[in-house]
Amino acid sequence: MRLLASLFAFLIAVAPAHAQRLDPVQVEDRFQQLQQAITLLTGQIEQLQFRNQQLQQRLDKMQTDYEFRLEQLEKGGARPGGPAPGAAPTARPAAPPPQPGVAAAPPAAAPGGAAAEQVYHDAFKLLQDGDYAGAERGFRTFVQRNPQHVLAGNAQYWLGETFYARRDFQNALNAFAEGYKTYRASPKGPDNLLKLGITLSAMGRKQDSCAMFARFNQDYPRATDLQKRRVDQERQKNQCG
Amino acid sequence: MSGRTNGTRKDIKMFKFKMLAAVAAMFMLSACADQAAVPAGGATAVAPGSIADFRQNVGDRVFFDTDQSSLRPDARTTLTRQAEWLKRYGNYQITVEGHADERGTREYNLALGDRRATAVRQFLVAQGVPAARLKTISYGKERPEVVGSDDGSWSRNRRGVSALQ
Amino acid sequence: MPRPTSRFRFLVAACAVAATSVFGIAPARAQLTIDMTRPNFEPVPIAIADFAGSDRVGAEIAQIIRNNLQNSGLFRVIPPAAVIEKNVNANAVPRHADWRGIGASGLVVGQVTATPGGIKVDFRLWDVVVGQQATGLSLNTQSAQWRRVAHIFSDAIYKRVTGEEGYFDTRVAYVSETGPLNRRVKRIALMDQDGANNRYLTDGAGLALTPRFSPTLQEIVYMGYAEGPPRVYLQNVESNRRELLGNFPGMSFAPRFSPDGTKVAMSLSQDGNSSLYEMNVRGRSQRRLTNSPGIDTSPSYSADGTQIVFNSDRGGTQQLYVMGSGGGGEKRISFGDGRYATPVWSPRGDFIAFTKIAGGQFGIGVMRPDGSGERMLASGFLVEGPTWAPNGRVLMFFRQQPNAAGRAGAVSLHAIDITGRFERQVPTPTDASDPAWSPLIPQ
Repeated sequence: MRLLASLFAFLIAVAPAHAQRLDPVQVEDRFQQLQQAITLLTGQIEQLQFRNQQLQQRLDKMQTDYEFRLEQLEKGGARPGGPAPGAAPTARPAAPPPQPGVAAAPPAAAPGGAAAEQVYHDAFKLLQDGDYAGAERGFRTFVQRNPQHVLAGNAQYWLGETFYARRDFQNALNAFAEGYKTYRASPKGPDNLLKLGITLSAMGRKQDSCAMFARFNQDYPRATDLQKRRVDQERQKNQCG
Repeated sequence: MSGRTNGTRKDIKMFKFKMLAAVAAMFMLSACADQAAVPAGGATAVAPGSIADFRQNVGDRVFFDTDQSSLRPDARTTLTRQAEWLKRYGNYQITVEGHADERGTREYNLALGDRRATAVRQFLVAQGVPAARLKTISYGKERPEVVGSDDGSWSRNRRGVSALQ
Repeated sequence: MPRPTSRFRFLVAACAVAATSVFGIAPARAQLTIDMTRPNFEPVPIAIADFAGSDRVGAEIAQIIRNNLQNSGLFRVIPPAAVIEKNVNANAVPRHADWRGIGASGLVVGQVTATPGGIKVDFRLWDVVVGQQATGLSLNTQSAQWRRVAHIFSDAIYKRVTGEEGYFDTRVAYVSETGPLNRRVKRIALMDQDGANNRYLTDGAGLALTPRFSPTLQEIVYMGYAEGPPRVYLQNVESNRRELLGNFPGMSFAPRFSPDGTKVAMSLSQDGNSSLYEMNVRGRSQRRLTNSPGIDTSPSYSADGTQIVFNSDRGGTQQLYVMGSGGGGEKRISFGDGRYATPVWSPRGDFIAFTKIAGGQFGIGVMRPDGSGERMLASGFLVEGPTWAPNGRVLMFFRQQPNAAGRAGAVSLHAIDITGRFERQVPTPTDASDPAWSPLIPQ
């Protein structure tokens, strides 16, 4: 931008000074050339700004992804792109209170096997690329076909995220609520409940969101510090009693 | 006028298969310019200083590249000749018409025609034609000279025409 | 200056009819709805019986409704020959099974009755799948207004079935083109959305281009050639009185009204440089909106009036930019391959339609206001100048065929829904370009 300004200044300074000596046609030509140079630069700056913005967005997405993966590692899981094997998702609404901790149950046999996981990973890739509609279809397909899969709780959580990212809070709410109901013991359980509260808050349902945050410590006493801090922040933000 | 247009069509056909369209257009134009500068013996006699004289012996129009309003060398040659003639015959007012081909949108082409007409006007003024004698008007893509949807027609329609009154 | 509202008073009555309670069926509407945003919807099969009670008008109204619905691409109109019940009583419950038998999901019946002041027209839309009335309307109006009645009924049916506002009770201004291409006569014409009531607003003595409606439909702005450089004119469509909008030394062009109708944004040219200005329509004050060393043109306000999208070649090629409606904060939004032009903000605010020139072809497309989600709907040798139906779900534009052997290629208006699935030609008496779709006519 500063470059443009100095070009203009140059134009203003130079044009009249040379006018006395130069042929007016040459002055006009010089003027045209400078204007074309400015136009070219303007176009290049616009392109660069656009690419910069795209890179920034991609970087943000990657950062989120890394944080997520590190978090999983801290919790002991090691599967890249997807979280650790978790609880058998047998919890039903009528089931007894969720067992604290998630490592108790043995990993359920993954119905569908590698093909199913491919669906999950493809959907996750779409999510990272910002193709929320595509990711939504992928995660939904995965959950429907593999409700018992170790990754089903994760898929349900990310399904909610695809809506939340598009500010479709009603569908996000439904997805997170379903996640809380069905996959409470999943490794994504704490994140799911946290996001359920945040979604309610975004919809203006402060009281309900506070109720969700209130359940957090009770349901997930062994949540990570990061998650607990996040819940505290949200409680403050929503002025929960 | 019509004779020149026919010549143009023939030229286009002649060069079409040999050369790139742009090169062909350049040749064509210089051929026209030569014709105009040195009228053949058989050319109808026109009164010096008449509008017909201006059109036939000077050339009343210049052509532009796609989406451009800068004056090409061939256009400068024509306009220099125009300026000399106009300075000699000071009784004419000039309306410079700016035109575009059909390969742009209507509103943008109005602006582009305006920019072309202005480029012609400014060149003539710089060559000493009094600014008060020159007006501009843009017709965008609304008044093509050649009706056709091909490079040859389009290159003839991207033009600045000095109309004398 | 009579306004349509005073000439045309409707008495709208909700038709809560006993029939609904007779059939105490759960309100299911599975078959008689359509989600037009889904790419693979099936058109709704619908039968429209001639309206009873009047010799000619009843049949004409039914035919207009058939044409409107069929042309929307969302309905499949059952051929009238297959409509087995003739002259059905608008107040009687139809035999739903018969209609289902010929494949209909909906049935439209109605009647016309004479009143001291004109006519009363009723209609009902039956959901024959569940055997219930889906909607109905009763209008009192002058006899001459029967075409509008048909359009208003079409809008009611469209709304009930699609959930979107209709767009049939609207007009289209356009440029009528006649004569050879190098001496074309271009006049501003005005017609109903379906091509009826065509009339000319300018006499053809000078070129007239780019008509745009005021939100009240009472006025249009356009660019015309008269004395001196071409300029923007404001013209009343009833009285045909016209006036210059602003008196500028150079060319003024590409006008467009603000959504509240108080302002017009347009391009002014000075020394070959075109910039955007905003003109107050009543007070005639003006202010400059852009100042770039390039062509700035084709401004279009956002639905809420706070932003303007426009076309500029300040970066070397034509691209789309968005700025605040007072000017400033200009931001480029188009970054695809090719040149972008004629941006038009949807009345719903969710999309910007545009013309794109790339690879020697022209296309009509839409993108979100931040430039994301670009989608092309139509393409061809030359397609240009999209304009939105008031519901923001249908676009009209013009298509020109290539010129051949010194003959001008035909220019015609076309409409397409925003899924890009259904395109149709809009009939006009002459060649036509540069359509402007009006808002819904105020009732």
